Amino acid sequence: MMRQDPSEKAMNRMEKFVDAYCNKSGTFKHPNPDVTEAVVKGLAHHVDTLGRPLCPCRFYPDKEEEIKHRTWICACDDMQIYKYCHCLLFVNEEGLPITEYLPEDHEGRVMHGLVKDSVPDKGRPLRDKAEEREVERRERPS
Amino acid sequence: MIPPLVRYLNRVNFRTTKPLLQVGERTMALEITDANFEQEVLQSDKPVLVDFWAAWCGPCLAIAPMIDELATEMEGTAKVGKVDIDNNPTVAVNYGIRAIPTLLIFNNGEVAEQLVGGTVRKGDLADKLNNLAGVTA
Repeated sequence: MMRQDPSEKAMNRMEKFVDAYCNKSGTFKHPNPDVTEAVVKGLAHHVDTLGRPLCPCRFYPDKEEEIKHRTWICACDDMQIYKYCHCLLFVNEEGLPITEYLPEDHEGRVMHGLVKDSVPDKGRPLRDKAEEREVERRERPS
Repeated sequence: MIPPLVRYLNRVNFRTTKPLLQVGERTMALEITDANFEQEVLQSDKPVLVDFWAAWCGPCLAIAPMIDELATEMEGTAKVGKVDIDNNPTVAVNYGIRAIPTLLIFNNGEVAEQLVGGTVRKGDLADKLNNLAGVTA
């Protein structure tokens, strides 16, 4: 099945969002623009079809059900709490996802090891929600 | 110790590598679907690596060239296939896929290993498949 490209309006919205969120969070776009373009297209597609920029780097058995939660709406909880983007949309200057703030047993930490945050004074606006996030991760794996 | 994915990403010069796969582009890896999963994976007499991916997933596309190389190199010893989760949700649901890419290695119809996010290098994946196939180095 061929996928329909997202609308220009949704693409523009997400491209502007990504640029703005990089500045706000002290992160960078991936050095390979194809990686960024793929993710932006996925987000824009979800804006067109679901009305929300649901993360395209996960599988959801029921997307309509998932968007009732804000967990994986970009910028997702992992990004706003831990400054970690599994999708590689918001990364450090070397193109690696920041894992410094993740719990030791988080799959991102296991996968990438320790990747330090070079701009620690920016981002993580929901850092005080980490405990709630870990409860959700156990009780509602998604 | 530097984790495998970091080593892999550090080796790749993202500015000069070939373009990532485009939507609909054919790959060397076997296309596995809800319809052929039973035959191609569960009934396979060889170990099977299955990459669960999606077209608009950046890390999935970043590891795609490595998966294709592995498919070519393992031909005759093991199968390497890809499941597009957007078009084949049944398999993804049945195996509890969440973050993608997720790599599952099947042997004799059972999951022998699960790796999330392309956590190992091509050589490590080849070693796992060779071990399951009974191939000695």
